[in-house]
Amino acid sequence: MNRITCDHVRSEVLDPGTVPGDWVRRPDAAAHIQQCPACQDWLDAFAAGQQAWAAVPAGDFAVQVMARTSGADEVVRDLPLLSDMDPGPGFAERVLLATSRQPAPDRWRTRAAGAWRVLVRRPRFAWEAAYVATVCWVLVFGNPVGAIEWSASNIGAAARERLGPPVEELRADLETWRGRLAPEAAPAQRALSGRPVEPAPPVARAWQAATEWLRAVAASVVDAIAAAWDGAAAWLERLAREPSSSPTEPPGGPARSRQ
Amino acid sequence: MDASDLPTLVERCRAGDATAWETFVRQMQGRLFALAYSYAGDREDARDLAQEIFVRLYESRGQWPSGDEFLPWLFRVARNRSVDYLRRRSVRRPAATVDEADIAELPDLSPGAEAQAIASDRRSLLHAALRSLSAINREIVVLRDVHGLPIQQVASILGVPLGTVKSRASRARVELAARVLALSRGRGEA
Repeated sequence: MNRITCDHVRSEVLDPGTVPGDWVRRPDAAAHIQQCPACQDWLDAFAAGQQAWAAVPAGDFAVQVMARTSGADEVVRDLPLLSDMDPGPGFAERVLLATSRQPAPDRWRTRAAGAWRVLVRRPRFAWEAAYVATVCWVLVFGNPVGAIEWSASNIGAAARERLGPPVEELRADLETWRGRLAPEAAPAQRALSGRPVEPAPPVARAWQAATEWLRAVAASVVDAIAAAWDGAAAWLERLAREPSSSPTEPPGGPARSRQ
Repeated sequence: MDASDLPTLVERCRAGDATAWETFVRQMQGRLFALAYSYAGDREDARDLAQEIFVRLYESRGQWPSGDEFLPWLFRVARNRSVDYLRRRSVRRPAATVDEADIAELPDLSPGAEAQAIASDRRSLLHAALRSLSAINREIVVLRDVHGLPIQQVASILGVPLGTVKSRASRARVELAARVLALSRGRGEA
């Protein structure tokens, strides 16, 4: 019997013609392995590798080995067979028929023009356009109600600023004139009534003047209405007294046929 | 198809040439149908899906990329459309299982009856094995090994890191080979 070496153990275990478990249980091999830590480690690693190999899913060990040796190359070599398949008769015609109904690819301007035509023909387009325009207006110029409020407040301030000084000047003139006229009018009034007359305030005088003007205007309007009524009544009386005659048919004309 | 003609054909299609479009459809129908079949797993569904892909291509033919960018873009469009189709179909009805008889009916244009029968059998075996892979592994194998796209483009189309595609590609090949061997052994025993 030859002396067992580490290389001998490896070659025997890896020999496809031997069963590794049987060989390592031989007395001479077992003796070498028992005293050789390197062979023990190598055999442990080999056993772990066998377990991992066996854990590969689907298929038995021989199939896996074959797949990893000659099988994979052969399969990969045959795979391009699947790159071209006949889809059957009439397939190209079917595709061409389906694509012939498709519109030709056009430029974006043409597509945009077509979309615009479709959009414009919709009945709601006017409403939508008005809505969009309003939204754009608000976005650009702000809230129109706010603009009105702003304008009103500014108009009031501007009016106070511009008209305030003339009004104040006019009021001052009125007070001046009232102060001048009051001493001269007071003795005359006392003389007429026998009692002192207090000068009326300017608002009361203005109200009095306005009332008198309104009375005069109302009287003139009433007189005018009364005069118009009288005139109309006189015209109606005159019209009732005159003999009735047709202006379109002269007297003594030919009689119309009644047929 | 003649790869040298493709850029010219693409340019003519982009210009709106109807004859070029017909030529493109006839040249690419086999390839796009095969890709659609790898996703749909059913012949009729694959025809519908391939037609959808062609219609999508036709609608966007004004924006087709030119040169070397076209094929990766084409596969990206086809893949996205296929994923949408599968999503719709999963809502509509359960995913179809592989019909072996359906696969066996796939015609083969290679000369010789015996060679045709062998190739057809081999194709059906590969299709059945492919359908048994996980979705991501199947996509990697289909794009990388079936249609021959570079691994960078596969990663870009699938939206996964390059390292993931590399590691998964080798594992997917081994897994596919194991499935093929298991299926062939099962057929031989039967």
